[in-house]
Amino acid sequence: MTYMHIGKDFTPPDIEGKVTGAARYAEDFRRDGLVFARLLTSPIPAGRVVSIDASEALAMPGVLGIFTADDLPESKPPANPALAKEFITYIGQPILAVAAESEELAEAAIERIVVEYERRPFVVDPLDTLVEGGPDPYPMGNSLIRTGEAAAGTTASGTGVGQIKWTSDQVASFRAGRFPTGASFPEEWMYGDVDANFAQCSTILEEPFVTIGYPHHSLEPRTGMAYWENGKCYFHGSLQSHTVGHDALSAMLEIDPANLVFINENTGGGFGSKIFPYPTMAVTGRFARKLNRPLQLRITRPEEFYIGSARSGMQGWIKIGLRDNGRVGAVDVAIVGDAGAGGGASGGSAAEHISIMYQPEAMRFRGMSLYTNTAPRGAQRGPGQNEMAAVLSPMMDKAARQAGIDLVEFRRVNAPGMDAKVGSRQGVLSSSYYPQAIEQVATLFGWEQKKTLPRQISATKVRGIGVGEGYHSAGASGYDGLLRIAPDGKIYLHTGVGNLGTYSYAGVLRAAAEALQCSWENCVVVHGNSDLHLPHSTYQGGSNTIFTETRSSHVAALDAIRKLKTIAAAQFGGAVEDYSIGGERVFLTSDSSKGMSYGEAAQKAIELGGELSGMTYPEDIHRTTQRSVQAMQGTGLIGVAKDTLPKSGTAPGFAIAMIEIELDTETGKFDILDYSGVAECGTVIHPMGLRQAMNGGGVWGFGMAAYERHVYDPQNGLPANVGLYQGKLPTYLDVPLHMKTAGTDMPDPQSPVGSRGIGEPAQGCAAAALMSAISDALGGHLFNRTPVTPDMIVNHIAQNSFNTGDLKTNTF
Amino acid sequence: MELIRYRNDVWGEEVILGVSWDLLWVVSVTAFVLLAAHAIFMAALAKKKALPSSEGKRINRHDAIDRAFHWIMAGSVLVLIATGIAPIVGLRISWLNIHWIAGLVLTFVCVFHIIRAMFWQDFKSMLIGPADFKEPFDETIKPGKYSFEQKGLHWAMTVLVIAVAATGIILFLNINSPWWQRPSVTDEGSLGIYFLLHGIATLGLVAFSAVHIYFALRPEKRFYTRSMVTGWISEAEMKENHDANKWKPE
Amino acid sequence: MSSHDVMPEIGLYQPVSVEDAVGLAGQLAERGWLLGGGQDTYGWLKDRAKRPEVLVDLKGIESMRGITETADGIEIGALVTLTEITRDPLITERYALLAQAAGRVASPQIRNVGTLAGNVAQDARCWYYRRGLNCYRAGGNLCYADTPEGMNREHALFNTSRCVAVTPSDTGTALVALEAQMVIRNASGERVVDAEDFFVGPNLDITHMTVLGAGDILTAVRIPAKWANAEFYFEKVADRNVWDFALVSIAAAMRMNNGVIEDARLVAGAVQCTPRRLSSIESAIRGKARNQETADQVASLATEGAQPLNFNHFKMPLMENLVNRAVRGHVV
Repeated sequence: MTYMHIGKDFTPPDIEGKVTGAARYAEDFRRDGLVFARLLTSPIPAGRVVSIDASEALAMPGVLGIFTADDLPESKPPANPALAKEFITYIGQPILAVAAESEELAEAAIERIVVEYERRPFVVDPLDTLVEGGPDPYPMGNSLIRTGEAAAGTTASGTGVGQIKWTSDQVASFRAGRFPTGASFPEEWMYGDVDANFAQCSTILEEPFVTIGYPHHSLEPRTGMAYWENGKCYFHGSLQSHTVGHDALSAMLEIDPANLVFINENTGGGFGSKIFPYPTMAVTGRFARKLNRPLQLRITRPEEFYIGSARSGMQGWIKIGLRDNGRVGAVDVAIVGDAGAGGGASGGSAAEHISIMYQPEAMRFRGMSLYTNTAPRGAQRGPGQNEMAAVLSPMMDKAARQAGIDLVEFRRVNAPGMDAKVGSRQGVLSSSYYPQAIEQVATLFGWEQKKTLPRQISATKVRGIGVGEGYHSAGASGYDGLLRIAPDGKIYLHTGVGNLGTYSYAGVLRAAAEALQCSWENCVVVHGNSDLHLPHSTYQGGSNTIFTETRSSHVAALDAIRKLKTIAAAQFGGAVEDYSIGGERVFLTSDSSKGMSYGEAAQKAIELGGELSGMTYPEDIHRTTQRSVQAMQGTGLIGVAKDTLPKSGTAPGFAIAMIEIELDTETGKFDILDYSGVAECGTVIHPMGLRQAMNGGGVWGFGMAAYERHVYDPQNGLPANVGLYQGKLPTYLDVPLHMKTAGTDMPDPQSPVGSRGIGEPAQGCAAAALMSAISDALGGHLFNRTPVTPDMIVNHIAQNSFNTGDLKTNTF
Repeated sequence: MELIRYRNDVWGEEVILGVSWDLLWVVSVTAFVLLAAHAIFMAALAKKKALPSSEGKRINRHDAIDRAFHWIMAGSVLVLIATGIAPIVGLRISWLNIHWIAGLVLTFVCVFHIIRAMFWQDFKSMLIGPADFKEPFDETIKPGKYSFEQKGLHWAMTVLVIAVAATGIILFLNINSPWWQRPSVTDEGSLGIYFLLHGIATLGLVAFSAVHIYFALRPEKRFYTRSMVTGWISEAEMKENHDANKWKPE
Repeated sequence: MSSHDVMPEIGLYQPVSVEDAVGLAGQLAERGWLLGGGQDTYGWLKDRAKRPEVLVDLKGIESMRGITETADGIEIGALVTLTEITRDPLITERYALLAQAAGRVASPQIRNVGTLAGNVAQDARCWYYRRGLNCYRAGGNLCYADTPEGMNREHALFNTSRCVAVTPSDTGTALVALEAQMVIRNASGERVVDAEDFFVGPNLDITHMTVLGAGDILTAVRIPAKWANAEFYFEKVADRNVWDFALVSIAAAMRMNNGVIEDARLVAGAVQCTPRRLSSIESAIRGKARNQETADQVASLATEGAQPLNFNHFKMPLMENLVNRAVRGHVV
């Protein structure tokens, strides 16, 4: 299909600001009378606040007040409180905020505040709390209980803290890499006859594994600034999403959503940690109201480590069975998830990755989510799926090698195609061109040629090649589209999509421009400020935006087109169906001279009123959208609609990568010689955006595989690697200069422009491919954990026994 | 001036770190001033008495093994003080190993000494009874083997050495040694108290060592020092300073 | 735990002569803090982990800049940046070892402002210590890293004495290998200390990494001609290739004569609190050919006496491998 805009590069409107530095983030905003708040954070990993004496601080000139948990509604565990009091559960947890006329004063005031704490037992490794007699991270227990529907990786309502314990023999058995007989798992699902299918498998592999969580390290810490005027709260924040968080933030501040103006034009990364409003936003808004002053609560880099969320970790056991033909016959997996001090672990999502990427004929998952006194966890780019992809890839390689099958052929045999099933319920997909993606990347990388290359490059260098796969569900439906054609002919494309740095907020609007057949130069992207009247849009998480919001953009455009034709028909006679659009005109199909420009039609819409100019609107649109339409009434032709397009099954995002590395056997270091990645995300709507997603995700995948992890000292609960330096995010010289990426560019039938999302799989496939390549370079050795760092490689080659084993986590 | 040093522990809670080393100077200067005053007083005001002759019959006061114990103890205490103080005053020497080795030597010698004193020596000769308290105020009362001052100094040193050795052993257990690896410290407050006691005992040891050395060098006491080298005192020294009814040398 | 992020209130002096700076440093003593490139300053101050009262900014002292040729080698001003070292023709032509080491420090941005003096005089990077904990090195009673469960992957193999931190300086190893001399000024005058003696271990002084005391200013580094244009080898292995400290590094200078090693200096970094001179290797390779065979014979000598901690055993094979590479002349 030939498109005007879809599949073509464009310059998103925020590019110039980002290149020149003119782009403003929450921290950059000032307001007359602005005061500065800083946090006092917990020095202990577990306990409670006994007393706070702030008298000396409050007596300091320029210090305006403190804000504590008592100023907030009560928060019950395991919900992550904005400020802790009865349940301190990790070092770095905010206890109170102090506001002063300057940041320097606020910091000086913090030093004058005396907080008395009562310490409680703490734990940093889930298996240490799981064992009978082990310390619990909360006084009431150690595990997440889902009492209702709650999304993985969130502390949404419907959760509680319970207690799970295993016998020491069961924990010892699990640590030793065996399934702990008789052990209880609160989460369990199964499809097919697992035992019967294992019996038919000729290759059986049983392995333990550990994936260590690590922080999001969003480059823009979650600073907020708020002020109250005329009963309204103006909030400059940092969210991935925009309007979808509006109601939640209003609820945090206990105000009518109509009285909240949320401003957030740019966000410096969120990666899952800023999908929805987070607890500290309540402090910012409420403290500003309490002081009746504009207030900025700046979050520092270390604070961002503590409260900025982190990927959860896994300690697991897996049994994989392959049939003679290489098909995965059965998988049995048990996962103990590290949910940190709050949030949930992602074992279920990890199991989902296995279920879709290898399509086992039978599968069982048993899991649990355990708390530890480490930083709270939340969704991070493909939570569950990506870390499972990384640690699973070399294990699957081992199974394939044992079965005598080429690693790529093995993926081919098991690839999820159009008829693929996913997860416990074995649901269907909207479409899948994943088998084509395998062929595309194999060609791009030159797998057949590379696998014949000698592994030994020189006396100290060995080659490794690997393949990795990533998956995430990538699309939803039911959100609203909104646009306005002004009398001057400009087309204002309103979106409530957050600008989290992927440019998708603008990319999805191209679907509207495409439908309206208008030039992009004539379009104005309206976003980032709820005072600009934005529609209710999807959350920016879960690779969701492209699929979901091209649909809502499209339906808004269809509504506008219908109205254009209605106006033209009223003007020139005939039926609506008799009219066409083109060249930013609406005209009689049979006589194009009978028509009017979009601007003229907009003027007519104002004159005619009714639904044409937004005086009335569909009842099914969200109240956020309704408010926006109300504010725009009579200003032009309003296109507004809820996405009710057909949607069934899961819209998948797939990616596959291949990597060639050169590993130095004397240092444990490696260079990535070739990275090839292909996304299966339906039609590519923005090639540069896709390249960016694949490259960025790839780099972070390298981080997951070989660099980043939480390290906590079990003696005192201290985190060892708080900042960007200690966090060891890969740097420019750790990643290849050129990464080859592409997309299958084949349309999903459930998207009007054929597109699906790709954010998370881009990381998973890279991490998995790198893990696969490292293992390949070392003769198929399994480290059974992520990340794999140079010390582990050196120890392995030296054949000593010093690598951390025993399923220990949050450790070197 | 602070007496005790405090620090925050790993969780930010204030705990004792140890004694303030400002006190080292206080103790040193005080000891010096007092001893200098004593020396001046003795030189200027005290009655001059002729020293008894060291010639004549020799009376055994210290067996060779006890003398060896004494000098080994003295040496180890001095080494401990020197190596302990070196880093405090900023001397860059590799002191730690010497310190704990000297500490072990002192501990072992002390244990031997205590056992020997209790079972093989006249333990009672070192005990202080109510009658001993009259001795400093009545020139007619002469002591047995040990004078009231000697007993007092000995017991003070005993308490201090036991305190410094006991706390030193606990601290030693908290560093790496050839026999064990350093353990985790779960209670920094307790560790600080051990350091505090070790420091206080050290200050006392510095003071009493100074007193001990001073008196060992004083002319009228020097024969005791000689006896700690050679083992004997003269009969004249015995008669002049001791009551033969109370001390019957073998 | 207070979460600090802004600079504290602090005094600032900006002397323009060494004499003035020395006077200020002596007068302020422990209350003062010498500021060069600032890369080992601002973090400490912003975290409130160190609390000096006054900064003495040395950057205005012109005489501490520049690289000059002397009768016996070169003299490098203490304020010369690491980037300047990587680009200076005198250094790159004659003492490439130092240029290579300087080029592997941190990141380009840090090298652009970080000075040679700052790199050699920087404090320990042990994460417990940097967190502001009151460990031995901070004047406290214990080490958090050297315990049965301490997270000590980056810590020392040799010559620990309560503290197990390692030298973080990349240029330090090169300077010891080159037999550099450190020129130190204080109110009493000038003294010159061999680079090897410049760094001190915790057995000698647990709260300092170098001989620099209160009032001392490192004003210049002299490199003698002895090792000019020798055969050099430098390699640093770190988790990341940019902005990371060494897991182990090696700096070597060798003089060859008729195909055999006539003289050599080998120094390892990040294995103990000071750059570790590998004298046993130096002795073992003198008079031998510089090849794989010699390297294989001697490499294991490098770790004799090592006492690994819980998580740093890998440094032993890594160190042996780097020594092997240095001796055989590995082409990176």
